[in-house]
Amino acid sequence: MRNSALQPPRPSVRYVNPRFQGPAVLAFTAIIAIGGAIFWKLVDGEFQRVFPKAAIRGHYTFNSAYDIVRDLLSWHLAGLFLGVFLTGSILVLVIIAATRHGIGKAVDSLRTSADGDLSTPTGTGPIGEFDRFGKKIDAARSDTLTSVRKIRSEADALAAGGMSPEEFRLRWDELKQQIRTIAP
Amino acid sequence: MSGSRAADDAPLVQDRYTFGLLLRLCVNTAGGVGILFVILYLALSRSLPGDYAGVYHALRNLSPFLRPILAVSVLVYALLACGSTSALCIYILHKVAGPLYRMERILDQYRAGVHTRTVSFRHDDQIQPLAHAFNQWIGALRRDRQRWLATMKDAERHCLQDEATCRSEMEAALRKIAGDMARYH
Repeated sequence: MRNSALQPPRPSVRYVNPRFQGPAVLAFTAIIAIGGAIFWKLVDGEFQRVFPKAAIRGHYTFNSAYDIVRDLLSWHLAGLFLGVFLTGSILVLVIIAATRHGIGKAVDSLRTSADGDLSTPTGTGPIGEFDRFGKKIDAARSDTLTSVRKIRSEADALAAGGMSPEEFRLRWDELKQQIRTIAP
Repeated sequence: MSGSRAADDAPLVQDRYTFGLLLRLCVNTAGGVGILFVILYLALSRSLPGDYAGVYHALRNLSPFLRPILAVSVLVYALLACGSTSALCIYILHKVAGPLYRMERILDQYRAGVHTRTVSFRHDDQIQPLAHAFNQWIGALRRDRQRWLATMKDAERHCLQDEATCRSEMEAALRKIAGDMARYH
């Protein structure tokens, strides 16, 4: 039988974050839908114009309707591909830039926290998921700063003296306990 | 040390990841447009009737006949492209969303006072410097905590001597700890 307590912790990430992926999926879907709608509108308009015109022209040198609209269809399909791909690419680059900016601010904030600055806001920006994440980091830093300040004021109060040895010893032990709660 | 510096200098989002995403988007879009082309080709490539009048009537009536076919083919394209692009988007962005979600949970656990383990993401996940920066912060806090506790323990050793020495050493240790904590602001 496998003992799960002996298994090393696996650094696996199994979760999907709908708040991050959801808007991106919706944006890609909108691009494809709008591209399809524009293509349909343009090609339908062209078909309404081209086939009656070909009918009254009289010289039928083609075998199928495809021969009439081959170039037209090729250009419109190429336009659809380029339109959807380029707009999608811009969206990809915007998502990557937003991620670099938002997470970059979070990384900077954690690095300055390691140097003792726990009060400067992370400032991840207004984009929903990154803003929320930045606030979580700020909340964790703020909690740490509150704990440190509380311990520091208690240490100052104890160092000032003026209390019985029993009370001093009791508060000394409590202070040790409080210090142990930092970064458990 | 060099490993730590490499982790610090690592890009948040690798260029390879961005190019991979763009390439897959290109293949997806091309696939969708290809399917649309095949549907329209099958609808349009049927041979026209052989005689002059037949061709004339067929072409005159072709536009209204093609309208629903065009609508359905565009709808099929949109559904297939949306489905595959959504799946691609979820799969690829998971390399960012997964670590982000994991970090959020770790931050929640940290605030709840649960023991925080060293954070590591999967090797192909993006935003790796985030885990490294978090580990650096927690590591610095733990080092300080150990130092403060060691200072207190050192002061307690003097309690084996007389009461006055013990008290003065403890007060000195507390002043040292308070001074040390002043770097946090």
